[in-house]
Amino acid sequence: MATPPDTLDKVGAGLDALDVPVEAHRPPVWRRFLKTGVPPIIAFALLLGVWQALWASAVLPEFQLPAPINVWDELVRSISTGEAFGILWTSLHRAVLGFLAAVVIATPLGLLIAKVRVVRAAIGSLLTGLQSLPSVAWVPAAILWFGVTPSTIYFVVLMGSVPSIANGLVAGIDQIPPLLPRVGRALGAGRLASARHILLPAALPGYLAGLKQGWAFSWRSLMAAEIIATSPQLGVGLGQYLHNGSSLNDINMVIAAIFLILLVGIGIELLLFRPLERAVLRARGLTGAL
Amino acid sequence: MTATLETTVPSTVDTAVELSGVRKVFGHGNSAVVALDGVDLRVKPGEFVCLLGASGCGKSTLLNIVAGLDAATSGELQLNTSRPAVMFQEPALMPWLTAARNVELALRFAGVGRLARKRRALDLLELVRLGDVADKRPHELSGGMRQRVALARALASTTVSPDGAPALLLMDEPFAALDAITRDVLQSELLRVWETTNTAIIFVTHDVREAVRLGQRVVLLSSRPGRVVREWDVTDSSTEVLDEINTHLREVISGHAS
Repeated sequence: MATPPDTLDKVGAGLDALDVPVEAHRPPVWRRFLKTGVPPIIAFALLLGVWQALWASAVLPEFQLPAPINVWDELVRSISTGEAFGILWTSLHRAVLGFLAAVVIATPLGLLIAKVRVVRAAIGSLLTGLQSLPSVAWVPAAILWFGVTPSTIYFVVLMGSVPSIANGLVAGIDQIPPLLPRVGRALGAGRLASARHILLPAALPGYLAGLKQGWAFSWRSLMAAEIIATSPQLGVGLGQYLHNGSSLNDINMVIAAIFLILLVGIGIELLLFRPLERAVLRARGLTGAL
Repeated sequence: MTATLETTVPSTVDTAVELSGVRKVFGHGNSAVVALDGVDLRVKPGEFVCLLGASGCGKSTLLNIVAGLDAATSGELQLNTSRPAVMFQEPALMPWLTAARNVELALRFAGVGRLARKRRALDLLELVRLGDVADKRPHELSGGMRQRVALARALASTTVSPDGAPALLLMDEPFAALDAITRDVLQSELLRVWETTNTAIIFVTHDVREAVRLGQRVVLLSSRPGRVVREWDVTDSSTEVLDEINTHLREVISGHAS
């Protein structure tokens, strides 16, 4: 009564050939650069132009609005003397260490909150609340507890980034389609295997978003802590450099410091998080935002 | 609850699955719903049984109980098979893994070594004619191809038993979300795979034609509570059987009017 099997096989092969989505052609490198690289360069050039024009019109005194070239000179000076590298290193290694510690603390914490109902009820909303508390608010307390030491700085960085990372992981786990863990159970995965091979990879996009935000928060918190908690014992990081500029009434130094802080933020985003996020989303066919 | 899980007693290999008096109640007190009420079912190794019924007949519940995803309220379940594999209406592939890796995942959970995993996954993908797209991710495949990867994965998890216990595949309306042509092709694909692997299959559907085409035996379940109404042997299916089953299914459904 049915169609002969070999005819159906051919139909099947034809369907496969018709059904496979056509891969979009990737445009050449120069065209992609034209699309994504040129607009920000133009925007930056415009900003510089406006700045230069404002300075030339002399609406603000020189000690409030410096000429772009003076800030540039300050940057060149600090780089050529090697001072900038020391400052960047001091801040960056603190931020990276703090961030890594935050990841180590926040990941199991996030897993616990997402999977254990009592834990979620107990500290879930507290964690979300902590996210809206500016971590600068911890600086005075931390100074009283730890003195003006690296511990103070790391404490503030952790308080800034742990809630974001843990919350990102919780959101990522909450958004997993319930069928996937069920499939895992049907295939015989235990709790640990299921967490490792299904829950964590499935939650990766949300987790990554949390990591990105966690990095931003730890960098921010670090700057806040460094500006407030200055002592010779702590060395000179970007925050202290900014603080020194302000104390010396040297607007060139202040703006140069702000530039460096921004530069690190944008650099890490472009060199680390953007490619990571892109790879993760592309592997899942979520290319809409790219 | 007396559900037991027993594997391979060689003397009882004429039964792969045996359900006796399985009852499942959801909820408590006044709001309790009886999903299954005293279901008896026997499936032989390598047999293809279709469970037929309208919505609310507890077919999926029954399948979940056999799969071990849900526990019966009372009654007994005996399995003389390796770990039963389940296929759902959606392929439910892991979107971050390639087709081959998805199949390998099932083998990994079953404790198969890395090299053997790779080889076996490719074999199974060849079996469902997807050897060429082993490195593609789910979003690069069509709906029918994804469902075939899911079939390969299900086979992977049930056919690896070291002691050679018979395999059991549980399918919960796996082709319901596909278009008619793809469904037709996949049905013949499934029959071919069934013949080559000698796996027992319990196939849940609400489509009489599908049940008669695929199964050796069709079991009709009533709705709310689910009970076995009748069984038909459909190895040499004729249009009369089809009409007869249809008539009974309509009776079961119209009994719920008013």
